[in-house]
Amino acid sequence: MNLEYSIVYKAENKYETWVNGAHWQFLIIPEENKTQEFVGVDFTNSLDAPIEYSINGFGFRTIRIHTKEKFKTVAFEASFKLIKREVNPFDFEITANIEEGYEKTKTIDFRVDFEQFLRSTPLTSIPSTSEGLFQFDLKQSIFENLQGLNLWIFEQIHFKVGTTDISTPLIKIITHKEGVCQDFTHLFCALARQNGIPCRYVSGYLHQGNGFFGDSQMHAWAEAYIPMVGWVGFDPTNGILANSNHIKVAHGNDYNDCSPLKGVLHTTGENKTIHSIQVSSQQ
Amino acid sequence: MKHDDTTIFSSYERNPSLYDEIFDENGNVQKTYETLFDLYGKHSIEDYVNLNSKAKASFFNQGITFQVYNEKKTQEKIFPFDLFPRIIHPEEWDIIERGAIQRSKALNLFLWDIYHEKKIIRQGIIPMELISSSANYLHQMIDVDPPGGIYNHISGTDIIKHNDGAYYVLEDNIRCPSGVSYVISNRTALKRALFGVFNHYQAYSVTNYAENLLDLLESTKPKGVDIPNCVVITPGMYNSAFFEHSYLAKTMGVELVEGRDLFVEKDFVYMKTIHGPEKVDVIYRRIDDQFLDPLEFRADSTLGVPGLFAAYKKGNVTLANAPGTGVADDKAVYTYMPEIIKYYLDEEPILNNVLTYHCSRPDELNYVLENIDKLVIKPVDEAGGYGISIGNRLTKKEIEVVKIQVKENPRKYVAQPIMSLSVHPTYIEDSESFEQRHVDLRTFTILGKDKEFVLKGGLTRVALQKGNLIVNSSQGGGSKDTWVLKK
Repeated sequence: MNLEYSIVYKAENKYETWVNGAHWQFLIIPEENKTQEFVGVDFTNSLDAPIEYSINGFGFRTIRIHTKEKFKTVAFEASFKLIKREVNPFDFEITANIEEGYEKTKTIDFRVDFEQFLRSTPLTSIPSTSEGLFQFDLKQSIFENLQGLNLWIFEQIHFKVGTTDISTPLIKIITHKEGVCQDFTHLFCALARQNGIPCRYVSGYLHQGNGFFGDSQMHAWAEAYIPMVGWVGFDPTNGILANSNHIKVAHGNDYNDCSPLKGVLHTTGENKTIHSIQVSSQQ
Repeated sequence: MKHDDTTIFSSYERNPSLYDEIFDENGNVQKTYETLFDLYGKHSIEDYVNLNSKAKASFFNQGITFQVYNEKKTQEKIFPFDLFPRIIHPEEWDIIERGAIQRSKALNLFLWDIYHEKKIIRQGIIPMELISSSANYLHQMIDVDPPGGIYNHISGTDIIKHNDGAYYVLEDNIRCPSGVSYVISNRTALKRALFGVFNHYQAYSVTNYAENLLDLLESTKPKGVDIPNCVVITPGMYNSAFFEHSYLAKTMGVELVEGRDLFVEKDFVYMKTIHGPEKVDVIYRRIDDQFLDPLEFRADSTLGVPGLFAAYKKGNVTLANAPGTGVADDKAVYTYMPEIIKYYLDEEPILNNVLTYHCSRPDELNYVLENIDKLVIKPVDEAGGYGISIGNRLTKKEIEVVKIQVKENPRKYVAQPIMSLSVHPTYIEDSESFEQRHVDLRTFTILGKDKEFVLKGGLTRVALQKGNLIVNSSQGGGSKDTWVLKK
C-alpha cells in the first residue's frame, strides 16, 4: 500500500542586529530511494532571494539561497509531496547464518567497504572505559543484537527537550539518561560501530500520527548494515524499526553531515531560529 | 685546491663529524666548487658584508617577506638569504629529479586508489587505520574522479644529504607546498649581486616554473571549456606565504583572488570584476581543505567560497591540488613510501626513506619511549616544523613531557633516527664570517596527465642557528640559491 505524504518545513530566523547578506543551505529534500518517490517541491523565502538546487559533499540534494539584502528576520517555507511505499522491516530471515554474519564483518573487504560508517567521530565516541553499556551476545544474530540495542537505548534514555544540545558528548547522555533523537541516534551509531557493525546517521521526517516521539523538528534515526541483508533502519528514540512513517532525507557519519540548515553570515548579537514541521498523509 | 688562509673562509671551522658539501675530510675543496671558491676568495670579508646588506635591502624593497605565527606580535620578516650558493652536480640532480617524479606519481596513484577501490589496503600492504584514523581523509572525495586523474598537481619534496653522502627524503608535501617563489627571487638577487660569479657556471634557469604551472593548470580544465580562466586563491595578505601567492599569480598572468572575490551560482564559480561576473574554470588554491567551503567544511571559515565544493564535485571547476590530498602527506603514510612505490609502479625507490618508527605499533612505541634521546619525534599531521622534538637536545624533564604526549596519543607521532643533515658554508652576520650550517633541499614537482616537471633548482633551506637541524622558514631558517649544473 502506498502513502502520499505532504510535508511542510518552516524556519524563521530572527537577528538582534542587521545582517548584510547571507548564504543558506538546506538539507531537507526527501531522498529518492526504493521506498520513496518524490513528487514535487515548492520553496519560498521572505526575502524573495533566488533559489538554487545543488548537492552536498555526499551527493544529497540541497536547496541553496544567497541574498545580498539587509535584513533582521527571514522566513523560509518548503513543501514537499512524496509517495512512500509500505515498508516491511521483517522481510528477511532473522536468525539464519548467525556465525557467517559475524565472520563477514571481520573480513578486510567488509571493513574497507564500510570504513566510513565504522569510524567513530567526536559525536559518536564513547570512552572505552564506560561501564554498563549494552553488550552484544554473539549467540544471537547481528539483527537481534541491534534490536536489543535499539530497545536498550529506548529504555535507558528519556526523551527530553532542552537538556542537551548538538555538542553534548555521549558520556553525558549516558550519565544523565536524557536527550533528544540526535542523542539517541548518536548513541546507537557509537555502540553499533564499536561492535564492528557499520552504522549511519539518518535525518528525516517522522509522521507522528501514532504518538511517537520526535517533536516538531527534523527526526533522526540510524541505519545499520547487516551482512547478506543490507541497510536496516532503527529508531531508538521510539524503540522501533524504521517504517513507512519515516521519511528519509540524508545520511552521514553523524549530525554534522546532516544538519538541515547551514548559514554563512556575519552578525553581532543574538539570533534565534524557530523550526516547525508538519507531516500529513493520505492513503 | 687547499683551504687557503687568506680568503673570506680563513676563519671557517670544520667539524669533522659533519658532512661538508664543499670541503672533504682533508679540507680540500670539492671539484664542483673550485671555481666558485676561487672567485669568492678574491674578495675581502668587508666586500661581502657590503654585498650582503645590499641584497637584504633589495629583498625588503621588493616585498619578499613572510610572517611568523605564534609570536606575540606578528611581524614581517625577510626570508634570510645567503649569497654563497649551493651547487648540485648533474649526476646527483638526475637522481633527485627521477626520485621526485617517482614519488609524485606513486602518491597520485595511491590517492586515486584510496578514494576508489582501496586495493592497497585490501591486499594488506598498508593498514586500514592509516586512512580511518586520518583527519585529512575526506569522505566527500570517495569515487570523485579529478580531471586527468591527478590529485597532487604540485608537490614539494624535502630532501637531505646524510653523512653517508646519500640523499634521503624527509617529507612529501602535497597540500599547499610553498617556497618556489624564493627559489626564483634568490636567483634574481644572486645574479644582481654577483653576476660575474654566476656566469662562470652553466646552471639551469629557474624562471620557467610559472609557465609550467600555468600550462599544468590549463591542462586540468573542466570538460567543455575551451580556453580556461585560471586564478590563484589566497587566504589573504596575512598569510605567511602571501608574497608567493601574489608572485605566482603575477608571473602566470592570472588573477589573484580571495574567497570574497568569488561566488558560486548554479554550481559554477564566478569572479567579481568591474565588468561583471567572469566564470572561473581552474583554481590554484592555497587554502587548506577545511577552509575551502564553509557550507561543506568548517562553517566558520571566512577564507573560502560558499558552494565551491559542490561546483567541484559536479566537475564545473578544478581545484589544484585536489581536496583530500592531505591524507597522503601524513607522516605515517611517508613510512610506507617504499611499499607504495613498489605496489603502484613496480619499481625500487630511487630516493631513500628515513627509517621510521610508528608509535601506534606497541613494540615500536616501547622502543621510542626508551630511546627518545636518540630520536626525532614528529607529529604526523603538522607542517612547517611545528611540534618536532629532537631527542638529544631535550632536558630530562622535557623528555618526560614528550613521553607523556606520545603515550597519550601514539597515532599522532612517528619517530626517526636523528639524521645528520649535510652542512654548507653560510655567512653569519653576528660573527661576520662563514660558518657550517645544516641544509636541506625542497624540490618542486608538477604532475599532470601528460606532464612531469621538476624545477631544476629548488630551495636550499639553512638552519641559521648553530647546530640546529630544523630548517623551516617558520622556525627561523634561511635559504640559498641552488644551482643545478648542465651536463
